[in-house]
Amino acid sequence: MTLPDLTAADLQPVLPALVLAAGASVLLLSEVFLTTASRSHLALIALGSSVLAGGVALATAFEPAHAVFQGLAVQDPFSSFVTVVVCLGLAGVVLLSADFLKQRQAERGEYYALMLFAAAGMSLLAMSAELITLFINLEVLSVSTYALTAFLRRGPRPAEAAFKYFILGAFSAALFLYGSALLYGVTGTTRLADMVGPLRTAMHTQPWLATCALALVAAGFAFKVAAVPFHMWAPDVYEGAPTPVTALMSAGVKAAAFAGLVRVFLFLGRADPEVVALALSALAVLTMVGGNLLALPQRNVKRMLAYSSIAHAGYLLLGVAALFPHPGTGVLAATPLMLGSPAVNSADAYKGILFYLLAYTVSSVGAFGVLSVLERHADGDGATAWDLDRFSGLAQRRPGWAVAMAAFMLSLAGIPPTVGFMGKLLVFRAAVDSGLLGLAIIGVLASAAGAYYYLRIVVYMFMRPAPAEGVLPEKYWATELALVASAVAVVALGVLPGRVADWLSQSGMFFGTR
Amino acid sequence: MSGLFDTQLLSVVVFVPAVFALLVLLFPKDEHGLIRVTSLVGMGVGLWVTGLLYARFDAHGPEFQQEVRVRWIDTLGASYHLGVDGLAVSLMLLTAVLGPLVVLASWDSVTHRTKEFHVALLVLQTAMLGALASMDLVLFYVFWEAMLVPMYLLIGVWGSEERQMAATKFFLYTLAGSLLMLVALLALYFIALPAPQRSFDYAAIYNSLLAATREVSLCQGRDPVGQCPGATPLALALLRYGPWMFAAFALAFAIKVPMFPLHTWLPDAHVQAPVAGSMILAGVMLKMGTFGFWRYAIPLFPVAARQLRPALAALAVTGIVYGAMMCLAQRDIKKLIAYSSVSHLGYCMLGMLALTTEGATGSAYQMLNHGVSTGALFLLFGMLYARRHTRLLSDYGGIAKVMPWFAALFLIITFSSIAVPGTNGFVGEFLVLLGTFKGTLPMVFGVLAASGVILGAAYMLWMVQRVFFGELTHRENLHLTDVTGRELATALPFVALVVVMGLSPQPFLERLAVSSEMFVARASFAQDSFHQSDEAVRMSVRPLPALPSPPLPAAPAPLPTADAMAPFKLGRPHPANLAVLPPERLLAAEPPPSRHGEEATP
Repeated sequence: MTLPDLTAADLQPVLPALVLAAGASVLLLSEVFLTTASRSHLALIALGSSVLAGGVALATAFEPAHAVFQGLAVQDPFSSFVTVVVCLGLAGVVLLSADFLKQRQAERGEYYALMLFAAAGMSLLAMSAELITLFINLEVLSVSTYALTAFLRRGPRPAEAAFKYFILGAFSAALFLYGSALLYGVTGTTRLADMVGPLRTAMHTQPWLATCALALVAAGFAFKVAAVPFHMWAPDVYEGAPTPVTALMSAGVKAAAFAGLVRVFLFLGRADPEVVALALSALAVLTMVGGNLLALPQRNVKRMLAYSSIAHAGYLLLGVAALFPHPGTGVLAATPLMLGSPAVNSADAYKGILFYLLAYTVSSVGAFGVLSVLERHADGDGATAWDLDRFSGLAQRRPGWAVAMAAFMLSLAGIPPTVGFMGKLLVFRAAVDSGLLGLAIIGVLASAAGAYYYLRIVVYMFMRPAPAEGVLPEKYWATELALVASAVAVVALGVLPGRVADWLSQSGMFFGTR
Repeated sequence: MSGLFDTQLLSVVVFVPAVFALLVLLFPKDEHGLIRVTSLVGMGVGLWVTGLLYARFDAHGPEFQQEVRVRWIDTLGASYHLGVDGLAVSLMLLTAVLGPLVVLASWDSVTHRTKEFHVALLVLQTAMLGALASMDLVLFYVFWEAMLVPMYLLIGVWGSEERQMAATKFFLYTLAGSLLMLVALLALYFIALPAPQRSFDYAAIYNSLLAATREVSLCQGRDPVGQCPGATPLALALLRYGPWMFAAFALAFAIKVPMFPLHTWLPDAHVQAPVAGSMILAGVMLKMGTFGFWRYAIPLFPVAARQLRPALAALAVTGIVYGAMMCLAQRDIKKLIAYSSVSHLGYCMLGMLALTTEGATGSAYQMLNHGVSTGALFLLFGMLYARRHTRLLSDYGGIAKVMPWFAALFLIITFSSIAVPGTNGFVGEFLVLLGTFKGTLPMVFGVLAASGVILGAAYMLWMVQRVFFGELTHRENLHLTDVTGRELATALPFVALVVVMGLSPQPFLERLAVSSEMFVARASFAQDSFHQSDEAVRMSVRPLPALPSPPLPAAPAPLPTADAMAPFKLGRPHPANLAVLPPERLLAAEPPPSRHGEEATP
């Protein structure tokens, strides 16, 4: 492959990632020249970069889908919307980080720079249409997140979390890479679009090899999105990481990983749609049920939110499964409501996935935000910092936070009039439309079980007396802004999703080669 | 303002409490008096506009009136569509009447976190009115679920000792049912209309199911286990999934009613809830279940409903008798009133399932009656509880000697509850029993239900006797004070309603008439013995307003490059189609293996 001549026009599609990377470089460089201890401008630079990148991505979201960099990547509405969602999550996380770091005297340029690099990786991951590009971007975002996990490195817990994350992340990257190598061996190409034909042939000539390759790639992604049974790392890592970083993991990393998953399997799945559909459905069921059941007994809210994030990956997988036509037999089979084979309505499925990502991003950033303000530096990293009791009587002491947290919990539980309900409605609609009636019913029952642990927080906030001791953390404008903005978004998008849903209706995916 | 009242009256009715909730939210939290008065004024204004709505409702006019329809979520096919029929407007009036009384009832008893309490009450009021007025399934579902949260808080924050258990039980029971309803709702949405016209509008879905319902009914009449060869796809889907969708809807509503084996959340919720919570729960919220059967479950799936009718009727009668038996065994007064609700709601269900006009009218009237009488019972017991702080029957006795006025009020309400002629309860139960005997249900249902009336009299009078008459056995009861002026003001409207609705039921029944007839016609649609045309039951509602000027979010993008897309080009070379092509269609259009990659590379 010869290196292409790049013009400014070629770089235009990756502008959001460039903006993020430029912001990160500014942060890193400025850190070198700072002479005072004042660091409050760092968050502003990071915030500005993420807002700018998100704005650019939104502005390009309605452009026609086309391949960039000779087909190594594509720019289509889907990737642009994922970038918007990532930048939205990033902006919220940056606002939350400002005070969090200040209290711990840990304001450093590299923290925000790592976040911006991670976001750039996420944005590019959503665009990648070639396995090597995809892998590099996956690593950019992963390595940044490993480092961020260990950012508050004193104490055993962050070290343990980062180490675990790193080892298991490397393991999953190896799985993915192994699968990619096998795919290359089978098809002779690394471009997703070129792979389909040879892969289909290989499914007949070398079925074991081809299936292994697909399974390994799927397992790599399943690790990243924390789908059951590849979820073991998630609770420990989520718990050990600094809370704003956890928010970034649950919002941004998840969105980007899903974007990669959808893109890869839309291409590879065409080789053998039925096997892929079955595998995705099985993962979806396990993840929805497993995530919710494992979250039930948790008293540690941070761990509970980690398991809840697993459960939400399950609902998203349900949306992804709805992209594929399902075979007509077995437990996970399609149940067409009307005669004939169920029509897969990809537009609805994309819209469902994207809206769900948006819904989950605003709700989870808010939820982790409330968690992070309640967590005091003096607590250290003992598990009591996130105990349910921390929420006792919050409604009397900080009514604003309690109401916001209640909105986030109801949204995560999928109860109207919140954005979480609209997200579930769109995803389940896509699933039912593809004939996945059984899966939708399982999902609905699982989310009914999930309502219990979300409500328990509401119970503690509103129905338990406040503990006698306890100094409440001070309010800080950036944190307040993040919480208010996410709470307003949760309710506003739940009541009037019209315009945003219209935008997302236009999100398609590009299947061409360039 | 008058324009708003003419065109948007229903929106005003629904959202007035929410507006006052916002107002209360702005007040400082220690201004208890101001908060109470504002809430009372809000509920009062709500009652006034609802009264206006009720007065404007033309008993002989079209089925759905005062419609409001605005575009809402176009991509889903959901619109903001409100409208009321006779039953909905009557239940809305009941809700609005209870509103100010509930605020008055909690005047003294709620002293901590007054602000949150009144905000929850006002939001709950909006959610209940909205659920009754919705004509769009998504809107209905949103309001339906929105009722849960404030009620959950009312029970969980201001309830008695075991409140958290009761609140969580209430929430999870109801949520599990409504989530299954959501799936059924989605399935219905998909089968009812073909893709471009898909809509969540209730009338649109109902009308589109009519022909298929007739087909299914005829085919099942010919051959009960037949597969209906040659039927339309919609009819086949309805034949196969209709019973399941009906079951999902019925489950959600049966939990709310609550019908017999699903009633276990109710005694806990009632016992633990504060007076206001119990009043609303018994007064309005349980009616949401019967209203759901009446409006949604039975008319949408009449064939499936008729198949399951014997089972449902049996459960209703079981509920009547079982609830009454449980009442006889209670030592806790609030639990007794709660079980009496199970019994009374059984009548509502039975009257509905009788599928006769008398039965349906009686059922609707019984819904209103139960709201009045049980709401009042909870209110009155709340007064007693505020004085003595015990719910046990054995702690009372001979109270009439120290609280004569109170005893008189309680007795009148008791008469209403056990359907003494001259009270509203008599009209409702009489019509229900009449309808049941007249309908096609086996005689035994009517006989058992009638025995429930006797049991009802037994347990209520037994309770009244144990509480009010006999010797004053407890020293603590010697100095109980009689009702205060405020309490009297709260209780007297109930007494007035009992008497007015009992002696002059005509204005109320007349507004229910069209609604009942239509319900029976829809429930027995396409049955052998009924020969009404599709047009007789078709719903006519206001159409969706056209878009003012097509605000297309962004023009469809031009085709990127012809050659890049060429391998995937299908019949219609439109980028929007290409971009969202489902994989299996792309599969069909797949070019010879992987040639295009090389071709496209320069």
